[in-house]
Amino acid sequence: MARIVFTSGFARRYTSGVREFEVEAKNLRGVLKAMDEMFPGLGEHLEEETTVAINGELHETGYFQPVPPGAEVFFIPKIEGG
Amino acid sequence: MNDSTIVTESTKRYKWVGTRPIRPDGVPKVTGRALYGADLKLPGMIFGKILRSPHAHARIKSIDTSAAEKLTGVKAVITSKDLPEQKFDYIGPERVAVNFWHVTRNIMAREKVLYEGHAVAAVAAVSASIAEEAASLIKVEYEVLPHVIDVDEAMAPDAPLLFEDMITRGIEPAPTKPSNISKKLEFAIGDVAKGFAEADVVIEETFKTAAVHQAYIEPHACVAKAEADGQIEIWSSSQGHFAMRALTAQILGSRLGDIRVTPAEIGGGFGGKTVTYLEPVAATLSKKSGGLPVRLQMTREEVFRASGPTSGSSMWVKIGVKKDGTITAMDGLYKFQAGAFPGSPVMNGCLCGFASYDVPNQHAIGYDVVSNRPKAAAYRAPGSPISGFAVETVLDMCAKAIGMDPLEMRMKNVAKIGSPTIAGPKHAHAGFAETLQALYNHPAWKAPLGLNQGRGVACGYWFNAGGESGATMQVNADGTVLVATGSPDIGGSRASMALMAAETLGVDYNMVRATVVDTGSVGYTHVTGGSRVTFATGIAVVTATQNVIKDLCRRAAMIWDVDPEGVVWEDGHAKPAGANVGDFKPLSLREIAAKAAATGGPITGSAGVNPGGQAPGFSAQFFDVEVDPETGHVQILRAVVAQDVGKAIHPSYVEGQMQGGVVQGIGWALNEEYIYNAKGQLDNPGFLDYRCPVASDLPMIDTILVEVPNPVHPYGAKGVGEANICPPMAAIGNAITQAIGKRMTSLPMSPPRILETLSKG
Repeated sequence: MARIVFTSGFARRYTSGVREFEVEAKNLRGVLKAMDEMFPGLGEHLEEETTVAINGELHETGYFQPVPPGAEVFFIPKIEGG
Repeated sequence: MNDSTIVTESTKRYKWVGTRPIRPDGVPKVTGRALYGADLKLPGMIFGKILRSPHAHARIKSIDTSAAEKLTGVKAVITSKDLPEQKFDYIGPERVAVNFWHVTRNIMAREKVLYEGHAVAAVAAVSASIAEEAASLIKVEYEVLPHVIDVDEAMAPDAPLLFEDMITRGIEPAPTKPSNISKKLEFAIGDVAKGFAEADVVIEETFKTAAVHQAYIEPHACVAKAEADGQIEIWSSSQGHFAMRALTAQILGSRLGDIRVTPAEIGGGFGGKTVTYLEPVAATLSKKSGGLPVRLQMTREEVFRASGPTSGSSMWVKIGVKKDGTITAMDGLYKFQAGAFPGSPVMNGCLCGFASYDVPNQHAIGYDVVSNRPKAAAYRAPGSPISGFAVETVLDMCAKAIGMDPLEMRMKNVAKIGSPTIAGPKHAHAGFAETLQALYNHPAWKAPLGLNQGRGVACGYWFNAGGESGATMQVNADGTVLVATGSPDIGGSRASMALMAAETLGVDYNMVRATVVDTGSVGYTHVTGGSRVTFATGIAVVTATQNVIKDLCRRAAMIWDVDPEGVVWEDGHAKPAGANVGDFKPLSLREIAAKAAATGGPITGSAGVNPGGQAPGFSAQFFDVEVDPETGHVQILRAVVAQDVGKAIHPSYVEGQMQGGVVQGIGWALNEEYIYNAKGQLDNPGFLDYRCPVASDLPMIDTILVEVPNPVHPYGAKGVGEANICPPMAAIGNAITQAIGKRMTSLPMSPPRILETLSKG
């Protein structure tokens, strides 16, 4: 199981304020799919609006990203550099 | 090698990675033959000119272009009516939310002009002088409106509104009245009230910083040619030609596949060339002139008046510490100027300000505020240097209050793997503590100071970026190797890509030529920004090289008539994997390349990647200064810069990045600012009055390359371009404070400001 975490602002907008979930997934595609099943349309918001920290390591929200067992998958706002 | 370079850890040794070959783009640049955005000349090319607003805020009542159109030699005149309207929609979140309704209005004003220098119309003519005359013949009738420049004044309830219907996003319930506050952001972890209650000392202070420009040497420039069938070719100087293609396509309503953008050399960008100002205008002028190529370039004054500086700000920071130096809570309020359209880097300011420290209780509020200034653009670690100035200054005040060495206090609280961040995730990479220790070990940290001298220290954090990159490799018949990427070379990427390719392939660096190619010749590549290229495009190059190696092994197997699994690649040669494969003399790259036709045709490899796990950047610096109490002049006596660089692929370029970031930080600290007159017009749009540091202002900047490799990258690279600009403002301010005995809380700390502070008794 992976622990899925959202910022409070994101949770307020899309998951009725619930910030943490547990889902079974091997990669981010699985996480997005599981979240989209719970909140239809959420997968697209996650893809378009977030960067993801898997055990603290930042990644773009790509399907292929592996999610190790027990991982913390934290979705945060996208970050852009200079 | 820079005499002052210290590499703190001897990481794995490579043959090419970590060496310092001469830059492959050096000869054309030092001989003046490199082609920048304004250098391209095409047959039949005509010249564009943009008419800009003299007013800070005005309603456009009418535009009459008839006189300009009648002038002999004029081929096209356009206004915003020639660009399609865009939907009002924020695409993406927070800092990176792009609203093309705003973007198209920044490129060409519609209902109102929102800053002095705002584009109103454009012309193209057979000569630059005719274009300029034609622009002067365009009659614009304005209704001048009250303007607002300062961020605090722009937030006031009675401030003139730039957008009469702007309702602040991020507040629930939504406000009922419009304001200039585009967005409110809030982040928190732990309980700051509890944290402050646990502290022995709590210090708070307010700060102001000025808007500063990236001050790249090369003004924006491009050439565009639009054919009747919808195809558009653009040659432009930017930080990302794929981004220019995407932005131009959206603004013009074109298809990506119909636009090809060729990157020119770039004379600096620092974030300011990730957005478009000219390309859609030049393409529209070209289309309207019947397909003639149009060159459009800004003057230096236009660069200052109309392209994005970074935000100025008004801030408040509060920090609590125990007597032993433990930080218990950090709180910040950051109000950032977005310029005339929403989109300051305030989110980054909120997320980066406290990120260097392991503190359980953190809280930050950010406001994105529009005012009658040019729209802010990214600038080197956008947002982080601004909040960093406030945070690192209050930390210095805390250290003084408890009588602790300010560097030791930072070392005590430094973030490590597992430390919380204000956004929520925990830090996943090491390197901060090692960097602080390296700075602390520098012999000058405890060197004595003289009269009117002071020493200040500060740290800086930047996320760094990964993201999409493409790369292709070709092996020529003579064994030379071409590496093509879509990353404009701003910080030496051609050399670092060639080094990583040579290392992976096991061939001499001089056999590899790295190039930057157009949007039709390589896979999509995100901008050269976020300190991402050596990391992400580097991974694309290494992956493409590995694909080539697989192909070379397959071809060697064909030559030897053995199974491909029986061939391995070592030291630039195909070798039998074991004695059972057969007794074959290793085949060099050149020998295999010579048999390319017989073994299946051209030897190429490509890769498209989207890597994450980039590891953040961290820099710690100290400065020694001397203040002249009669003139207020600050002389930088010493600058020592330590940075976690992962693995320096080309150490000279890494040193250059570190020194360059520090020089820009020194300018930000001491002199650079936008100065507006009472009419809201910029009074210093040139390098005579907007004072960047010059060589004679600077000491040799000592660099300490701390190598804590990033395990995600094949050679351990971390982005190095941005974290270095974060500490100088606070470090210099802290040093000045020690020298004069008074706290500096406003940037720039220019001579008049120093004298004013000294006069306050």
